[in-house]
Amino acid sequence: MLKGVHQKLETQQTPAFFVRGTSAFLRMVFFCALSITIMAIDARLNYLSQVRQAFIAALHPLEVAANAPGAWYRDTKKYFSAHNKLVQENYILKQQAFEHQVALQRFNTIQAENEHLRGLLNGNIPNQPKGMLGEISHMGRDPFTHIVVVNRGNQHKIKAGQAVVDSKGVIGQVTRVYPFTSEVTLITDKELSIPIQIERNQLRAIAFGGGNNTLDIPYLPTNVDIKVGDKLVTSGIDGIYPAGLAVATVTKIEQNPESPFAKIISTPVAEVTNHLQLLLLDLPDAKEAEIKLTSETSETKDSELKKENLKLNKTNTQTITKPKTKPKDNANAPH
Amino acid sequence: MRHTSLVSVYISLLIALLCQLFPWVGQGIILRPDFMLVVTLYWLLRAPHLCNVGTAWFAGLLVDLATGSLLGQHALSFCFTAYVALSYQRRLVLFNKGQLLAYVLILLLIERVLILLLKLFTGNENPGLAYLLPIISGLLLWQLTIFIFGGITRPKTSTS
Repeated sequence: MLKGVHQKLETQQTPAFFVRGTSAFLRMVFFCALSITIMAIDARLNYLSQVRQAFIAALHPLEVAANAPGAWYRDTKKYFSAHNKLVQENYILKQQAFEHQVALQRFNTIQAENEHLRGLLNGNIPNQPKGMLGEISHMGRDPFTHIVVVNRGNQHKIKAGQAVVDSKGVIGQVTRVYPFTSEVTLITDKELSIPIQIERNQLRAIAFGGGNNTLDIPYLPTNVDIKVGDKLVTSGIDGIYPAGLAVATVTKIEQNPESPFAKIISTPVAEVTNHLQLLLLDLPDAKEAEIKLTSETSETKDSELKKENLKLNKTNTQTITKPKTKPKDNANAPH
Repeated sequence: MRHTSLVSVYISLLIALLCQLFPWVGQGIILRPDFMLVVTLYWLLRAPHLCNVGTAWFAGLLVDLATGSLLGQHALSFCFTAYVALSYQRRLVLFNKGQLLAYVLILLLIERVLILLLKLFTGNENPGLAYLLPIISGLLLWQLTIFIFGGITRPKTSTS
């Protein structure tokens, strides 16, 4: 590229026929600067998410091709799995379904009773989140990040910020959505936090990802009432994770005399490595609830007592407790 | 210099990307070699007129996009490693097999350390020594690449 004058001016030791265009050093400097710029743009400005989405969409056929051998293997394995085993499994599943149905009957009556009682006390009824079943397509390309990729994306109306659970407990939160897949950041990621509650004594706290398959609960005094083996469940005050989902079990409590805080380490109960299926819970509609709430409260000003009572029942079925801005903040945080 | 076509470079890079996309399960993922890097280094050392720092940078960018990591971090480490690789490329004729392997080991190490530094800067936790395992599998992959595509330098016995 730079031929003629430039080469003569430079004191070059290499003979001319070895020169291949611009020197490697210059190229390196140029491309390093370019990648640093891209990194800065990607990390701070979020301009490149469109580029990323388009690329991942373009890459989808390649990804399907890469996934194909594994899928074939699984399918053939399924096909050749013994008849006996399937019958046995079917029997066990039927039994389980029966037991669950019995439990559910009680649950339904209790829930109805609870709703009624809350209605009497003019309290808010926590919403029942709906979800979409997804499947883990792979555990992320980089083993040192806490990311799982799920086969549900924009096309299935998945949004960033949705909570993800499996049959045992909370897995994490959707952080990036692509057309056909989405990235779920695990709760063990350092940048993710989750509001929790100790199941035994209802103590509220916030757990942060600690890496290496652990969760930390910082900023609690050394005399806090937490024991090894305590179960942590979601408290539901953030409006993203519905209340009462299992999160983790406390495995270790360290008390350092130099620090006023206890170091509480717990391990998540969800089994990300064992299952493929997981549930992506819908985000609560903060806007809708807000609009309905305001319209209904303005109406109540000039309505009669009878109407008011009717509407109270109505508002009770909506969720009002959610903070309006917090879910968005949380959704953006892990980026 | 032996004849190599640009098409073979790009096709092999595409296959490397496919291998990178292959879903690895369980603990084996820690051992996964960096396919893209090894293939890029191979072409860098064998045919620098076809595959230069720019190609390495682009390969790194593809890895970034495919892995969902911070855009540009693999690009940066790939292009720097490519520069180091190219700076000794002309002396490779003098190297024997062991020395060549050691050279590749150093290059893979440079890339890993660069990525680690960038990750620590962006707030990831320290991954521990298992982070360096892909270097060993990368060396095995390097030998495989040489076996498939032929040696870097012209074999000394042949006259062509």
